Amino acid sequence: MKTSAWYKTIIYSLLVLFSVYFLFPFIWIVLTALKTEAEVYQYPLVFFPSEWKFSNFIDAWNAQPFSKYLLNSVTITVLTTIGQIISCSMIAYGFSRYEFKFKNGLFILLLATMMIPWDVTMIPLYMQFNLFGWINTLKPLIIPAFFGSAYYVFLLRQFLMGVPKELEHAAKIDGANDFQTYSRIFMPIMKAPLTLIAVLNMLSVWNDYLGPLIFLQDRSKYTLALGLAAFKGVHELQIIPIMSITILMIIPPVIAFLFAQKYIVEGISGAIK
Amino acid sequence: MEQAAKRFKRSRRLGKWTPYLFISPWIVGILLFTVGPLIFSLIMSFFNWPVTSKPKFIGLDNYSKMFTDDPQFYKSLWITLKFAVFYVPLSLGISLILALLITQHVKGVKIFRTIFYLPAVVSGVAVSIIWGWIFNTKYGILNYALSLLGIEGPKWLVDPNSAIISIVIASAWGVGTMMLIFYTNIKGISPDLYESAAIDGAGPFRQFRSITLPLITPTLFFNLITSTISALQQLTLVLLLTNGGPLKSTYFYGLFVYNNAFKHHKLGYASANAWFMFIIILLLTALIFRSSSVWVFYENEVKNKPARGGKGK
Amino acid sequence: MLRVKGTGKSLLITMLLVCLTLTACGGGSGGKAADQGGKQTIRFATWDSEDNLTLQQELIDQFNETHTDIQVSLEAYGSDYDTKITAGMGAKDAPDVMYMWNYPTYKDALEPLDSYIEQEGGSFKDNFYETLWNYNSADGQILGLPVGYTTHVVYYNKDLFDAAGVPYPQDGWTWADLQEAAKKLSDKAENISGFAFSGKPDPYDFEMFLWGNGASYIDDQGNLEGNLNSPKSIEVLTMFQNMLKEGYAITTEGSGATEMKSGKVAMFTNGAWSIASLREAGINFGVVELPKFKDGSAVSVVSSSGISMSKESSKKDAAWEFIKFWTSEEANKARIDYELPVLKTVVESEQLQNDDMKRVFYHMLEMSEKYTPASFKVDNWSEISENLQLAFEQIFNPSTLMDPKTVLDDAAQ
Repeated sequence: MKTSAWYKTIIYSLLVLFSVYFLFPFIWIVLTALKTEAEVYQYPLVFFPSEWKFSNFIDAWNAQPFSKYLLNSVTITVLTTIGQIISCSMIAYGFSRYEFKFKNGLFILLLATMMIPWDVTMIPLYMQFNLFGWINTLKPLIIPAFFGSAYYVFLLRQFLMGVPKELEHAAKIDGANDFQTYSRIFMPIMKAPLTLIAVLNMLSVWNDYLGPLIFLQDRSKYTLALGLAAFKGVHELQIIPIMSITILMIIPPVIAFLFAQKYIVEGISGAIK
Repeated sequence: MEQAAKRFKRSRRLGKWTPYLFISPWIVGILLFTVGPLIFSLIMSFFNWPVTSKPKFIGLDNYSKMFTDDPQFYKSLWITLKFAVFYVPLSLGISLILALLITQHVKGVKIFRTIFYLPAVVSGVAVSIIWGWIFNTKYGILNYALSLLGIEGPKWLVDPNSAIISIVIASAWGVGTMMLIFYTNIKGISPDLYESAAIDGAGPFRQFRSITLPLITPTLFFNLITSTISALQQLTLVLLLTNGGPLKSTYFYGLFVYNNAFKHHKLGYASANAWFMFIIILLLTALIFRSSSVWVFYENEVKNKPARGGKGK
Repeated sequence: MLRVKGTGKSLLITMLLVCLTLTACGGGSGGKAADQGGKQTIRFATWDSEDNLTLQQELIDQFNETHTDIQVSLEAYGSDYDTKITAGMGAKDAPDVMYMWNYPTYKDALEPLDSYIEQEGGSFKDNFYETLWNYNSADGQILGLPVGYTTHVVYYNKDLFDAAGVPYPQDGWTWADLQEAAKKLSDKAENISGFAFSGKPDPYDFEMFLWGNGASYIDDQGNLEGNLNSPKSIEVLTMFQNMLKEGYAITTEGSGATEMKSGKVAMFTNGAWSIASLREAGINFGVVELPKFKDGSAVSVVSSSGISMSKESSKKDAAWEFIKFWTSEEANKARIDYELPVLKTVVESEQLQNDDMKRVFYHMLEMSEKYTPASFKVDNWSEISENLQLAFEQIFNPSTLMDPKTVLDDAAQ
């Protein structure tokens, strides 16, 4: 495809324009993390630290048992991602490739669960997890993922709705049963959207703050997001450690995203061929 | 013979159960984790529950108070609806534009892709702190930058008129996830379609209108519903950035519910508030869902025509 | 036929696997802090963060080592402390021991401590500053033991005072003195403000200015009318508003600490929280008592922190043992860099009355006896507080700057 020069100019100027908006606060976070406390608040503003304090990262990391938190965060993220991929692919497959009684009603119910106001269901949920003996363990943060999340099921269904029906017919002729059709034919097709779900799930779980806050107690069980928030006291906040940990916390999801791009680019249509 | 018929029937019956088996994890999950708390909160909406002591049954009092005796309820509802009407199309538009930009075949696009995605990865605590700083009227970086250009910046989080704009600017910073969803969808579109369109002489805008847009309606639909929900439930940012101010101009419904529950310790009342919003969102979603048959196209419906002739499967 | 059977089987196996994962996770070590080896486990929740938290953990480790029968586990919730405690109380799973300041809100879930205190003998109670007991009680019952407190003072930037050639403020000064100094200090071209106060002040804190002028939000019967909108109250709000209008004072978006750290604000009022952070920010500052009102005095509200016991706790004796440890002289001394000690013997032995800064906070405490914040007088304080905050905003927000009398009359309704 040939693209004209003016078209390219427009594209680049838009890219740059948006980059300023997206990058600027981010750069400010990075610069802040490397400053001394005095420079952070100084006015007129100081853009670049006079001395790049990379030790801020180490200090922040050592201020709390972050290595422990990291382990907890990784455990939760990995397990929930596995859980979501297995459960959501099954559920979305069921919803998108079959006709059955109450399908629309059930699907509306599924959508409805995305709108549940957490403020008022949180305490009863706490009671319920307490009854299960799950409070102060990572279980409430992991196990529900094995039962699917409405958000990802819905997203996956949107992708699956576009896959031609002929595929199942062909599979049936080849003698595959329903489960084999799902696992051998549809799982590969869903590679791109499933990668997307893995990325999105990782993101939300990694940064989830409310769940860990409510369901965990012992400091040895905390996650990175909870540790990060603990730098914010009632009266004063520790700006440099907050920014330092924020940056460190960004690294794993960004790496995951860079890897995921490859699978996303392969796309659905690519998989069908 | 009779046995065979029975078998056949049984298999048909089991066959009918197959889809339910596929969705069974979700059904089990909803029974285990969702139904209980949901019903509990519904029941609590008929109680006066100050959290620290026993709930007392008060019938419909919470609901009647909400509709007749709490001006803040209407104010918060109005602010939230206004925000949603403004923010949902805006965020959809921006994320779609971004997704289109990062699918362009130009040099360095990979870097831009990562840049646009970056903010979505930053945790909410840091986002609110950094934007609070940027927007600080007197010592913030935004007004400092404007002053270098000789412009006197607005009183971002102090003036009720600009506060809501500040919230929009800060919220839109995290559209990376929506962008990624669009992006995945666009990447799934067969390049053949564009090639043949280009041969027909269609420019980039016509290609977008006749190929891209129809083919991404499934994810557009998804993003529309989820962003509507999150706009109507917006809490984190207003809680941390403005705490409802200035002059309650950003006292969103989510904050109204949250404060009733955790600041005023009126959990029964908060449950009534939350259930009302739940119903509104449900109705709205149902409406969008209804409309979807008109404007959402699933690829097999669209592609069937050329595919049948071309590939002869 | 085969197909169906196969599907059913595979799905069943998947389900089974899911269930197995579930039980495997479920079967592991119980999450509840189980009592181990005959030790009773006590949950203790704190709102403090970072360095202070590290210190608290060390103190707890020390306690656990010296007590063979009690194990304390620390839970830290930072700025979302209230959300967590509320959820815990609602679900009947509150920590056994917790930090507390907002007693009126939580009183029904807290164990009255009067009888425990009595058992310790008279001198135990007398060693705490009397004023603090008022702030750690509700409905005439003591619900927490004082751990720390702060009164509010004026912080001033010495460098700015020096540069403008203005003498440092002295204890016993008046609001007129402050205004005069602020006028001299403020410098539009340099972006320097003479005085900064919150444009959205916490009504709990702001009441101290009314007290200083002989007014208060409400009387003992709980009436706003005639108190909040009394001439004396209106006078205070008008005075603050005038400082804005005259241009030498600014309102801040938070407490003012951020602005103070920029080095461009000459004075602001705050509790002792700012000492450490201003030092870290490299500000050369001093503290001085709040100014007096013309015909009034200088009074500060007390922001206190106490330690309380959950009513639902099943290990109250052990909890009390820990509370006693946490409020002991030793613990007070250990926390001295983060909290102002609340025990008279500690203040004496550490000679805090001679400390340049800390002495000011104790002096403010002495001058602020016998005042009770409105939050302790009414049941619906959180709602009144929200209305008051809006009223103050209407008075101070540059886009409204409404007439104080109109606003307060309206708010008193």
